[in-house]
Amino acid sequence: MISAPDVVAFTREEELGDELYREPPLPEEYSVPLFPFAGHGANPWAKVSSSKFSRDFILISEFSEQVGPQPLLTIPDDAKVPGSFDLNYFSLRIMSVDYQASFVGHPPGCAYPKLNFVEDSKVVLGDSKEGAFAYVHHLTLYDLEARGFVRPFCMAYISADEHKIMQQFQELSAEFSKASECLKTGNRKAFASELEKKLKDLDYTRTVLHNETEIQKKANDKGYYTTQAIEKANELASVEKSIIEHQDLLKQIRSYPYRKLKESDFHAYEPEGTLDQAGTSSEQDLATSDPAEPGEMHLYSRLPSYTPKLIKAKPAKCFDKKLKTLEELCDIYFFNQTLDQLHHIERTFRGDVCYLLTNQISRALLKQQSVTNFLFEDVSFLEEKAPENQYRGCQGLSQDAADRKCSEESPAPKVVISLGSYKSSVECVPIKMEQDMGDPQEPSMTESITFEHQENLDYLDADLKGSISSGESIEVLGTEKSASGLMKSESQASLPISPSPQVGRSKVGSRRTVSEDSIEVLSTCPSESLIPEDFKASYPSAINEEPYVDDEEGGLRFTPRLNPDNADEQEDVSNQENLAQIDSACCIGKESPSFLEPLPGLGQKQCDEDGVVRIPPQPYRQAEQGLHGSLVGSPPCDGAPGGLLPHELDSRCPTAGREVSRTSLDECSDSTSYISSAASTCSDRTPSPAHPVCLTNERHKKKAGQNALRFIRQYPFAHPAIYSLLSGRTLVVLGEDEAIVKKLVTALSIFVPNCGAYAKPVKHWVTSPLHVVDFQKWKLIGLQRTVSPAGVGVLHALSRYSRYVSILDADSKTLRCPLYKGTVVARLADHRTQIKRGSTYYMHVQSVLTQLCSKAFLFTFCHHLHLPISEREPEESVVNRRMNFLKLHLGLANEDVKIVQYLAELLKLQYIQEPGQGANPLLRFDYVPSFLYKI
Amino acid sequence: MSALCPPPSPAVAKTEISMNGESPLLAATFAYWDNILGPRVRHIWAPKTDQVLLSDGEITFLANHTLNGEILRNAESGAIDVKFFVLAEKRVIIVSLIFDGNWNGDRSTYGLSIILPQSELGFYLPLHRVCVDRLTHIIRKGRIWMHKERQEHFQKIVLEGTERMEDQGQSIIPMLTGEVIPVMELLSSMKSHSVPEEIDIVRTLCLFLTPSERRCSRLCRNETSFKYESGLFVQGLLKDATGSFVLPFRQVMYAPYPTTHIDVDVNTVKQMPPCHEHIYNQRRYMRSELTAFWRANSDEEMSQDPIIHTDESFTPDLNVFQDILHQDTLVKAFLDQIFHLKPGLSLRSTFLAQFLLILHRKALTLIKYIEDDTQKGKKPFKSLRSLKIDLDLTAEGDLNIIMALAEKIKPGLHSFIFGRPFYISVQERDMLMTF
Repeated sequence: MISAPDVVAFTREEELGDELYREPPLPEEYSVPLFPFAGHGANPWAKVSSSKFSRDFILISEFSEQVGPQPLLTIPDDAKVPGSFDLNYFSLRIMSVDYQASFVGHPPGCAYPKLNFVEDSKVVLGDSKEGAFAYVHHLTLYDLEARGFVRPFCMAYISADEHKIMQQFQELSAEFSKASECLKTGNRKAFASELEKKLKDLDYTRTVLHNETEIQKKANDKGYYTTQAIEKANELASVEKSIIEHQDLLKQIRSYPYRKLKESDFHAYEPEGTLDQAGTSSEQDLATSDPAEPGEMHLYSRLPSYTPKLIKAKPAKCFDKKLKTLEELCDIYFFNQTLDQLHHIERTFRGDVCYLLTNQISRALLKQQSVTNFLFEDVSFLEEKAPENQYRGCQGLSQDAADRKCSEESPAPKVVISLGSYKSSVECVPIKMEQDMGDPQEPSMTESITFEHQENLDYLDADLKGSISSGESIEVLGTEKSASGLMKSESQASLPISPSPQVGRSKVGSRRTVSEDSIEVLSTCPSESLIPEDFKASYPSAINEEPYVDDEEGGLRFTPRLNPDNADEQEDVSNQENLAQIDSACCIGKESPSFLEPLPGLGQKQCDEDGVVRIPPQPYRQAEQGLHGSLVGSPPCDGAPGGLLPHELDSRCPTAGREVSRTSLDECSDSTSYISSAASTCSDRTPSPAHPVCLTNERHKKKAGQNALRFIRQYPFAHPAIYSLLSGRTLVVLGEDEAIVKKLVTALSIFVPNCGAYAKPVKHWVTSPLHVVDFQKWKLIGLQRTVSPAGVGVLHALSRYSRYVSILDADSKTLRCPLYKGTVVARLADHRTQIKRGSTYYMHVQSVLTQLCSKAFLFTFCHHLHLPISEREPEESVVNRRMNFLKLHLGLANEDVKIVQYLAELLKLQYIQEPGQGANPLLRFDYVPSFLYKI
Repeated sequence: MSALCPPPSPAVAKTEISMNGESPLLAATFAYWDNILGPRVRHIWAPKTDQVLLSDGEITFLANHTLNGEILRNAESGAIDVKFFVLAEKRVIIVSLIFDGNWNGDRSTYGLSIILPQSELGFYLPLHRVCVDRLTHIIRKGRIWMHKERQEHFQKIVLEGTERMEDQGQSIIPMLTGEVIPVMELLSSMKSHSVPEEIDIVRTLCLFLTPSERRCSRLCRNETSFKYESGLFVQGLLKDATGSFVLPFRQVMYAPYPTTHIDVDVNTVKQMPPCHEHIYNQRRYMRSELTAFWRANSDEEMSQDPIIHTDESFTPDLNVFQDILHQDTLVKAFLDQIFHLKPGLSLRSTFLAQFLLILHRKALTLIKYIEDDTQKGKKPFKSLRSLKIDLDLTAEGDLNIIMALAEKIKPGLHSFIFGRPFYISVQERDMLMTF
């Protein structure tokens, strides 16, 4: 396999003795270092840290005709960044050659000076001794006063990592080309206006000279020309020649865009963002700065009024004149745009190249996974076509957006991002405003609803405080309450708060209330071969617990009564009914036939069957989960029978954001759910040192990671909590202190799977009572606990649904949720982990979640798992096959199965959605016994 | 443009190389900095083509440009610096390797450059490292050669009392030719063999690469098999008529990463030792080769390729390819699972993308973990065991896979993690076990 002659060069240097070899040893400069990384301190990070400058920066240099190469400015403009690095020397090095080799001036055979529109050159070079490597972008600007009308400049991206520059060469080149194009556009504009001024001066001078000559002529009656007159005439001639030359130059500079635009690879600079920062530029600039057809002419022709002055025919000596600064050479607006672009470049490429590379790779890979991305990825991250399109639009907003991004009260940035690319920030503003307008509604709505359930508050408190004394003991709560109870209660509903739409719905709802007990409900999917007896046998507690609910010392009190007779025991019937109404709505929503279109007048069976069969691969069913009943609710989109209220439905259907503020019945729920989604989805980014939004995300991600790390270390029951989130069971974080609750919500938000493309179902802080629809929208809710009357309502509502949700009490540090015995979450959240930083932990979580996604994807799209092999194959064996697959092929144990099933369910829902329609959030209740965990 | 370029001096020699296929390379040049005349071109290599894309004058002009500014050169001793130009005005890209050397008794600066049309930028960039690595090493050898030539030159002057200009330093040219031609051929083959051919496994394996790595991979050629080229990510090679084929030891050693050898006839997979060990072996091999070169006494010895210098005191380990012993869960699960998905519905490619994303995310997490743990390399890394548990990489194969990926985006990671860079695999395995 291996050719022998190649082997011969092998020698063992360490055994070489001088006595054996008379020749001097190989000089080290001719050799190669034995350890390629040892020279820099033997670690992969040392290369960068050993350089004289602390981080990458951009240097703009000029080859001045007066003083030679000189550095002009650095980005970031901070003396600390270049440090002791010799900018003068490096400027000399990078500017020492005119790589553009442009020829401006009088080419042979041409009467007038000719402008040469040279193309930019790009050079990568380095100074290996200093450990500085640079991408250098050479460009030429025009200056009427400069030698040959040109001023050579360069913009250099300086980094200590040579490979980074080569690996990112194309990206750097593209970004710097934009900056250069911007600068040159501004320069052409400035040059043209300078020419026009000069022409006016010349014109004026000519007039003056002409007048003087005329006067002289008149005064001269000698018949011959005096020396003075000849001088004047010569001067006049030279001014006229100069005028022609300048006119020609003006013509050339104006004709530039047309010539260049014809070239295929020319990308005209289009100032997309026209921001306040460019306030100095007048509106006409903005309107005309597009170099497309009429624009450029316009651009050059419309100048502020200018008073011409007399000029001398002879130019000042080279060293007498002061050269224009870069700012003067370029229209101020374009100059600022260029600086912004350079800042953007600096932000985009800063940092370790491994993050940049992985970011690029991840982005490419994520684009191939459009089906699963919505679950845990930040879709906006993928939709950004290219950061460069954004920077202009974002600039104005970036800072304040950045500041508010992660706070709950800042809806704007997320939506701004999801727009992908903007044409200008002008478009951003109304969007932001629109959302801001949505906000103020929230307090008024929440305030308008008050519930007075002091007793329930007491119950709840008692439950949370002391139902279990030992830390490790687990209480099986009497929370198995049949869904039929709900069904019944809905039938008696009357709605005081918002009656009109409710009536229709309750009627529809009542159709379904056939079943008498929980078992009936649990087997609402007739196609399932779930036998009630089996159910009883293996889960007697599910039924036996039933009366337990009503016991005084029971767990969380569940207020809506099974029996309508009990209803009068409640303090606030109407309120309950209202709530129950919503319950029923959800159940019916589940029953409603399809995700895409409703079928009117469906019997129960049909509904169920439809709900299942329509969706290939078949959706999740109760039987698969063993004996845990689950109701899968998905509100129909077009508001037909049995679904939610029409106005609710309307608000859900819009293609863009499903979370539109809602009114009337649902007003107690928060109208600003997008806020939380805005805040939380930004945590879904892969590391990227890119543009401002990314930076904010980085920060948020880090924060979320830190909080999560702290959470899993502090709370021994982190696993069941995370399991709740991953399996789609809503987790309510209850607490008095908003900051603590929000912190917990932020921590846990990274584990919440998305239901649709745009919103993360996380609500950081709610002060009003929860409704069932809230559980449909949000899978993680921060809930305020107060002693005020309003707070009672909140707790009352919570206790009402306590068996359907997991409750993390931040004050008493307890968690009530189903048991978890799987392994996935243990890998995800090991409290003994040595991971030190939040951002690292976040990355770890992300990779584990990606693994889960992949499993869910496989499970969802394995055809043979969901379809019978033969026509006669019973449903049972298909279900068995599915379970076997989950357990054996995917290696899932116990509850992990449910996580993958839930994710698969979400995938299915998303997959069958019409494009452009967001997936409807899933409302699902698991009748699983809850346990109380304490620290 | 050509009108503006003066014709090259008659001293410029030119080697025309006839190529089989299309050559993306326009020319290669060797130039030096003359202390009186400035940059001067010494030699031009160009593919023999009917249509002249660049005249000799233009080539000279460009090559001179590569050394411009190098009077300010400030490099580490023995450094071979890379400059890369994209000259839109000239529509070319130039890759220059700038180095110092001794020639004719003077220390001077030299530049070996290759010139490609600007349109090939996208094609070239993925191959940049391969080309640069190869040219760098030949320069290392050539530099020694120049140095020795000088000594011999002086000896001749002393003996003959005459100085013949034409002798000076010429001898580096054949050596450079020996590598420039293969590089040209490599680029040409990369140009032509992006078209899929019969060995399907190459394409399948390429699925696991990034797009730019794919562009640095080569399918096999039907008629006559390509030779192994170091630095390609995946390459298809054919056995000869007798069913055997030769993997050149030197090229395998020069490759930036360890090579895996897959024989699709007998279904065997063999791997070289992990990256840190490979790099260590590679460096030792290079050093020994250069040392042997330095000690060569005669032109014959030097001009022979491969060079015949044996050093009995050391026998290289020829058994660089070994069976893969470790177990992994990542790839195994992937292979178990992917075939459950129906082909043709792009389900498999999505699943593959997920798999790759998992690997990349794990690799980045691993880098970050080590970065945090060692404060960016300031402290030694001690907790491999924790890393494996925390990042769920307890299977040795999993760790190897993720480490390999991490090495690509963070070079030197292996050597850093495994402490001394020259642990052999067995030792490494022992070390891993003891954690």
